[in-house]
Amino acid sequence: MSALRRFLRTPEAVAGAILLAVLIAMALSASLLFPGDPQAIAGPALLPPFQDWSLPLGTDRLGRDVLAELFHGARTSLAVGLAAAAAALVVGAVVGTLAGFAGGLVDEVLMRITDAFQTVPSFLLALAFVSVVGPSLGVVAIALGTWTGPARVARAEVLSIRERDYVAGARVIGMHPLAIAFREVLPNALPPVLAMSSVIVAAAILTEAALSFLGLGDPNRVTWGGMISEGRAVLRTAPFLSIVPGIALVLTVLGVYLAGEGIVETTAVRRGLS
Amino acid sequence: MSLLAVSNLTKRYRRGGKTIAAVDDVSFHVDPGETLALAGPSGSGKSTIARLVLRLIEPDDGRIEFESDDFLALRRAALRARRARLQMVFQDPLAAFNPRATVARVLDDPLRIHGIASRAERPRRIAALLERVGLTADLAPRAIHEISGGQRQRVAIARAIATKPSLIVLDEAVSALDVSVRGEILELLLDLQRQEKIAYLFISHDLGVIRSIAHRVILLDAGRVAENGDARTVIDAPQSAIGKALVAAAPRLNRAGP
Ligand SMILES: Nc1ncnc2c1ncn2[C@@H]1O[C@H](COP(=O)(O)OP(=O)(O)OP(=O)(O)O)[C@@H](O)[C@H]1O
Ligand SMILES: [Mg+2]
Repeated sequence: MSALRRFLRTPEAVAGAILLAVLIAMALSASLLFPGDPQAIAGPALLPPFQDWSLPLGTDRLGRDVLAELFHGARTSLAVGLAAAAAALVVGAVVGTLAGFAGGLVDEVLMRITDAFQTVPSFLLALAFVSVVGPSLGVVAIALGTWTGPARVARAEVLSIRERDYVAGARVIGMHPLAIAFREVLPNALPPVLAMSSVIVAAAILTEAALSFLGLGDPNRVTWGGMISEGRAVLRTAPFLSIVPGIALVLTVLGVYLAGEGIVETTAVRRGLS
Repeated sequence: MSLLAVSNLTKRYRRGGKTIAAVDDVSFHVDPGETLALAGPSGSGKSTIARLVLRLIEPDDGRIEFESDDFLALRRAALRARRARLQMVFQDPLAAFNPRATVARVLDDPLRIHGIASRAERPRRIAALLERVGLTADLAPRAIHEISGGQRQRVAIARAIATKPSLIVLDEAVSALDVSVRGEILELLLDLQRQEKIAYLFISHDLGVIRSIAHRVILLDAGRVAENGDARTVIDAPQSAIGKALVAAAPRLNRAGP
């Protein structure tokens, strides 16, 4: 049975994949369906949902189209979440590989740095970074708190791989240690690191939303966190302004997580069988 | 002048609270084009000697002279460059290669690293190497895990000879192969030695194989040299206790031989 078939047989995975597909479709179609500035005023302020079919989800306090904001927000969530997760995975894999492969003092220093980053809660780290550097480097801020997990997993994997004969073989033919680390060892250490990506992407999306909620997101982009934060001021009279982006956020994180776990599960089974 | 001269080589490991000498004051030499066999019971230090000679691990004491240079004094780039002359073939040919590698990549690496052939020239060199070890060039694009164990060990030998070494260390290189394949690989090794004058440091627990291909043998016991001399003389009439025990334990040792 192919991995795809097995994936399709797992209902959670399929649900996750559908949620993710919808999110990606929203992100990609945002500027087609809602061209122009999503932050421009589109109608009367605080129009409730399902009243005016040209503004299906109504408008916010300033009269901006909530549906357009939702679509453009999907784009921000996805872009920032994926970029931050990718940065965290790359940095983590590289640091973990260097530490595990070099051993000795290099390992000691890199792992103490990793410890230091890990002891500070990742959200606090992101918050501190953004407050100092500004919201334009949100991706870096989010990655800052999440690369330590991949680094530890990569290091553990590299420690076992570096004892294999083929690494000795690479040394015997005179390969440079950095080439051995990154060409021979790292690719074989990646599977368990990549298996963490769904959790990391989900966490990155949440962190981005939380930063935006606190007003530390990119001010030039619509974000779901920002929408929730704006809606808070009129929570009693117009709760939908917070609820709609809130639901979008929950579904997105759920979708990423379920689809990711589904992929890991089905490929892990395949590895176990072969 | 010997090709490899090892003197007073010692390697200790700490196990529990005690220190044990895996290799204890071992001296030997290998001449150009010669096969020196290392034999001994499991744990007697054979693989440790192989790893020391290849600088995969560092000794606690002793000297290694290779091609008249102090091999232990070589560092970094100088050591990597000299590795072209001193190669190794491992016991398990599957474990000896990156699981993602193809045959072509495995053979391309040494040619590239030591600047032996230009990029354009390398595919031809790879084909020639494959043919030299009795394989066909159409094996090149195959993944390492897609070829048979015997073919894999031939690829390992092709990789070892790619850089024109003067010495190849073979650690149980034929032990994992079944009998018919083993004979073919030994034939290939003998042929290479005749043609290219390569010396072998041949590690094996099979005294029959040692008797048929080695010139001299060293018997190890608990990290120390127990006996050494002409391979046939030692195996036919061992003097040391460990030699007698090894010969007694060897199945169908063909002592009549040529
Ligand atoms: N990295 C290590 N750490 C601790 N002890 C080790 C290490 N490597 C080898 N030893 C010990 O050194 C001794 C010699 O081991 P070695 O692998 O050289 O034996 P061998 O002769 O190759 O045995 P075999 O025939 O089983 O391959 C053994 O007692 C082994 O347990
Ligand atoms: Mg051994």
